[in-house]
Amino acid sequence: MSHLFEHHGAVDAGYRQPAPLMAKESVRIPKALARKNSPRWPRLSEPEMVRHYTWLSRRNYGIDTGFYPLGSCTMKHNPRVNEVIAQLPGIADMHPLQPEHHLQGLLAIFDEMQDMLATCAGMDAVTLQPVAGAQGEFTALRCIQEYFRSTGQEARDKVIVPDSAHGTNPASAALAGYEIIEIPSNPDGRINIEVLKSVVGDDTAAMMITNPNTLGIFEEDICEATKIVHDAGGQMYYDGANFNAILGRTNPGLMGFDAVHYNLHKTFSQPHGGGGPGCGPIGVKSHLAPFLPGPLVRKRPIQSSDPLTMVNDESWYEWFQPEQSIGKVQQWHGNAGAVIRCWAYYRRYGYELKTMSDHAVMNANYLRQRIMDEAQEKGLASAFTDGAPTKLVKHEFTLSLAPLKSEKGTGAMDVAKGLLDRGYMAPTIYFPLVVDECMMIEPTETESKEVLDEFARRFVEVLGDDTEVLHAAPQTTDVRRVDEVYAARNLCLSYPFDEEQ
Amino acid sequence: MVAHRLWEQRVTHSQRGTFMVDQLPNLGRELEMLSTMGMSSLDELFDDVPEEVRITKNMNLPSPQTEEEILSDAKRILGANVAMSNRVSFLGAGIYKNFVPASVMQLITRGEFLTSYTPYQPEVSQGMLQAMWEFQTLICELVGLPVANLSVYDGSSAAAEALTCAVRVHNRKAVQKNTLFVSELTPPDRLSVIHNYIQGAGITVKYLRHDSNGCLEMDSVAEAAGSCGVYVEQPNPLGIVDENLVDIKSIIGEETAFIVGVQPTSLGVLEAPGNYGADIVVGEGQPLGSPMTAGGPIYGIFSCSQKYLRQMPGRIVGKTIDVDGNEAFCLTLSTREQHIRRHRATSNLCTNETLIALMGAMHMALLGPEGIRDLAIRNMAACQLAKNALLEIDSIKSPHFDVFHYNEFLIELPGNTSDCLEYLDKKGLVGGFDLSNWYPEQKNRMLVTCTDQTSSSEIELLAAHLAVWSETMVSEVKV
Repeated sequence: MSHLFEHHGAVDAGYRQPAPLMAKESVRIPKALARKNSPRWPRLSEPEMVRHYTWLSRRNYGIDTGFYPLGSCTMKHNPRVNEVIAQLPGIADMHPLQPEHHLQGLLAIFDEMQDMLATCAGMDAVTLQPVAGAQGEFTALRCIQEYFRSTGQEARDKVIVPDSAHGTNPASAALAGYEIIEIPSNPDGRINIEVLKSVVGDDTAAMMITNPNTLGIFEEDICEATKIVHDAGGQMYYDGANFNAILGRTNPGLMGFDAVHYNLHKTFSQPHGGGGPGCGPIGVKSHLAPFLPGPLVRKRPIQSSDPLTMVNDESWYEWFQPEQSIGKVQQWHGNAGAVIRCWAYYRRYGYELKTMSDHAVMNANYLRQRIMDEAQEKGLASAFTDGAPTKLVKHEFTLSLAPLKSEKGTGAMDVAKGLLDRGYMAPTIYFPLVVDECMMIEPTETESKEVLDEFARRFVEVLGDDTEVLHAAPQTTDVRRVDEVYAARNLCLSYPFDEEQ
Repeated sequence: MVAHRLWEQRVTHSQRGTFMVDQLPNLGRELEMLSTMGMSSLDELFDDVPEEVRITKNMNLPSPQTEEEILSDAKRILGANVAMSNRVSFLGAGIYKNFVPASVMQLITRGEFLTSYTPYQPEVSQGMLQAMWEFQTLICELVGLPVANLSVYDGSSAAAEALTCAVRVHNRKAVQKNTLFVSELTPPDRLSVIHNYIQGAGITVKYLRHDSNGCLEMDSVAEAAGSCGVYVEQPNPLGIVDENLVDIKSIIGEETAFIVGVQPTSLGVLEAPGNYGADIVVGEGQPLGSPMTAGGPIYGIFSCSQKYLRQMPGRIVGKTIDVDGNEAFCLTLSTREQHIRRHRATSNLCTNETLIALMGAMHMALLGPEGIRDLAIRNMAACQLAKNALLEIDSIKSPHFDVFHYNEFLIELPGNTSDCLEYLDKKGLVGGFDLSNWYPEQKNRMLVTCTDQTSSSEIELLAAHLAVWSETMVSEVKV
C-alpha cells in the first residue's frame, strides 16, 4: 500500500514553473487574507508522481482490462481516435466565451449533433447542454414545467414513475419540485396499464419511462401508455439510458414521447472515466422547443459580410436563444469535449447505427441463451430464474438468483465476487429493485462471440461453486471482500495526518 | 471564399458493414449466433416491437466513415475554430487559460482509468477509489474543511447544490425560512443555473449589495442573518479579493450557512475559506488540471464541514478494511444518494466528473505545497502588472482602484467595449470580456484576465493596442 501523502522526497515542487512576471516580494497580497499554512500536500518528483498513478491504474478494472457486463451502463469499447480528436487545440484550447466567428467549427459540429440526435430519437429540437443523464432528466422536466405554466396548467404537479425506474428519475422530478407517484410494475416488469389508468388525471404533469425497461424488456403496451397519459393531458418522458437497444429499429418519437434524454456516455461511447464525465443532451417535440435551455445552434446561408473563418462556403453557424427558455443548467455550453467525441463515434457508424443496436441486442440474447444452455448442461438450471419471464430481451437481461440463495445461501453479491475471481467485472446487482437477488447483464455490441461463450461457461461454473468458496470470494483481487459497513461506521474521508507520528 | 465543401468529402459509396468491422467483432457471424436462439434473421430480435412504431427505412444519416476520414474531417472542422493557443488572450470570466502538465495528460489516457465506471465493485476498483480519496484530501487541505466529495458537474451546479444543501440543514431553525442570500455580482448564467436548481423547493433568493469599490456592503450581509445561507465568491466575479469576507461568519451566525465559491489556484496565497468561517466551499475546478475545452467537461469542487456531511450531494470515498483487516477503500454514505433514497435523495447526481477530478488530483500532487503558492503568485503578478500597464493609458480608468485582484480586473474604456474587442480581434488579440454581456447598461467596461500563462510581452502588446484605440476614441469625441 502506497500513500500519496507519504511522499516527502523532493525538496520543492515536482513541477518547475517559470518565474512570476514580477518579483515575489512586490506582489501585493491583502494582509487579512494572506494564507498562513500551506496545504499538507505531498512533495513528489515527476517520476514518483507518474509511478504512483500508474500503480493506482493497475489496481483498477476498465473495459480495456476485460469484459465489463455492467447492466444499464452500456460499457462498450471506447474508440481511441475520439480521444485524439478531443485533444485537438480546436476543442481543448477553446474558451466558451469566445466570439461566434472563433467557434465556427465547434458550432458546425454542435449543429450536426443536434440534427443527428433529433433524427435518431424522432424529436424536433435538441439541446446539448445537460452534462449527464440525470441533468437531462431534470432539464426536460423543467421544460415541461414551464410549458404547463405558460398554458395556465400549474396544477399539474405530479410525475408518475414505475417502481423499476432508475433512481435518478424520481430524484430529478423531486428536484424540479414535483410530487412523485410510484406505480408498481406487472410481474413481468412491464407497465401495469390498469394501475396507470387509475393514477393519471388533471394533476399529471408527466410520466417517465425507460424503454426497453430496466429489465431489458420492450414495453409492448407503450402506445397505450402514451395514449392514457396524453388523454389525461400529461407529457411522456423517455429515459434514454437504454437507447443503445433500438437505434434504427424504432424511436421515442414514433412511440409518442414528448421529451427524451440521451446518455452519450452510454450509446455514443464517451468513456465513463471511473464515474464521469457523462453527457446528457435532451430532445423534445416542437411544443417544448421554446423552453429549452439556451443557447442552441442553427445555421443560415453565409453572407459576404461574414468573416473568413467558416467551416464551409455555404453556411454560417450562430447561437440563438429559444423564446421562452428556462435559462441555463450548465454555465457554459455543456460537456463540449464529450459532444466532440460522440460526434466522432456517430460518424464511424452513420446510418449503420442500426447495425450497432442489432448487434447489442443479438449479443444480449445470445449470452442469455448460452447461459441457460450451459446451466442446463451442467445441471444448474434451477440456480436462477428469469428476472421476468420473456422470450426476447433487448440489449440486457436480468436473472434472479433467489433460488440459489435459498438453496445454498449464496446470492447475487456472492456470485458477483466469484466472477471477480475469474477476472471479470461483475454485472449490476440488486437493481432493478423489483427482481429478487437481481443480476443485470449487458454485454454490448463490442464483445466477440468467444468472449460471450467463455463468460457463459465461467458464470455457470461460479453457480456451482461451494458455499464456503463463494462466501470467501474474492481471493485473487488487490484486496479481499471490502467491509462497507466498517467504512460507514468508522468514517475516514481523508488522510489522517494527525495520526501520522 | 474558402472552397471546402464538407459534405462532398464524405465517403458516399460504402459497402454495408465495411467500415464497422473494426468496432463490431461479430459482424459476418450473425447467422451462426442467431441460430443458437433458433432465429434466422436480425429482424426476429425485434419481434416484440409493435409494428406501428417500427422503422422500416434507413435512418436519414450519412454513410459510415473510417477512422482516417473522421480524423481528417475533425482536424479540418475544428481547425476552423480560433484556438486560444493561437491568440494573445485576456478572456477569463470563469474559465481560465492554464497549463496542464504533460504527465497529467498522458496518465489520464490509461484505459484502466478512462474506461472504468463508478466503482460498484471495490475489490477491483481500488485504484480509482484511492485516487478519489486522495483527491478529497487534497481539496480538504486546500480549502480548510474536513469533508470533500469526489466532484460535481461544475462550479455552477456546485453552488446550486450548496444552496439547496444549506436549506436542508438550516430551514427548520431559520428565522427567514426558505430564504438564501446570493451576491448580486454572481454572473447571470451562473445565477440562471442556481435558479433552475432551487425553484422546485420554493426558495426565495435575495441579493447581497456591493459598494462602489466592488466589495460587499456589510449592512447587506447583516440582513442575511437568520436566513438559510449566504453565497459569495472569492475572488469575486470582477476579480476582486474581498477582505470583508473574513467578517461574514460572525455577522450571519451559526445558523446560517456561509458558502464561498473559489478559484482554487488562488488558495495558494489566499487564506483557506474554512479558516475564516466558511461552512461550504465550492468552485470551478478547471484551473487545476483541466483544459478549458469550451467549458466542459470540467469539474465542480464541493467541500463542507461535518455538519453538512449527511445532507451533501454526490459520491464520497471512505477508507475501510477488507475481511483480512487490510486497508481498502469504498464508496460510503450512499444512503444519501438517488439509487437508494430515490426521490428523498440529497441530489439527483449520479454520473459526475471523476476523470477530470483525477486530472485535478494529479496536478495538485505534482505542484505540491510550494508549487501551488508559486502558481498563485504567477497569477497575481500577471494581473497586477497588467493593471499597472493599462492604467498608464490616460483615457482608461479603473472603477476599482484601491483593491486587490486575482486573475482579473475591470477597466473603463473611452468607447464601447464591443468596438474595442473587434479592433483587438483584428490585431490577433482576444482583449477580454465585454461586461455588457452581464449588465447591458455597462457598455464601456471590460474585464481583463491574466493567468499564469500570460507573458509580459503579451501585456505590453495589449497596452500598446489599447493606447492606440483609446487615442482614436478620444480624438473622435473631440471632433
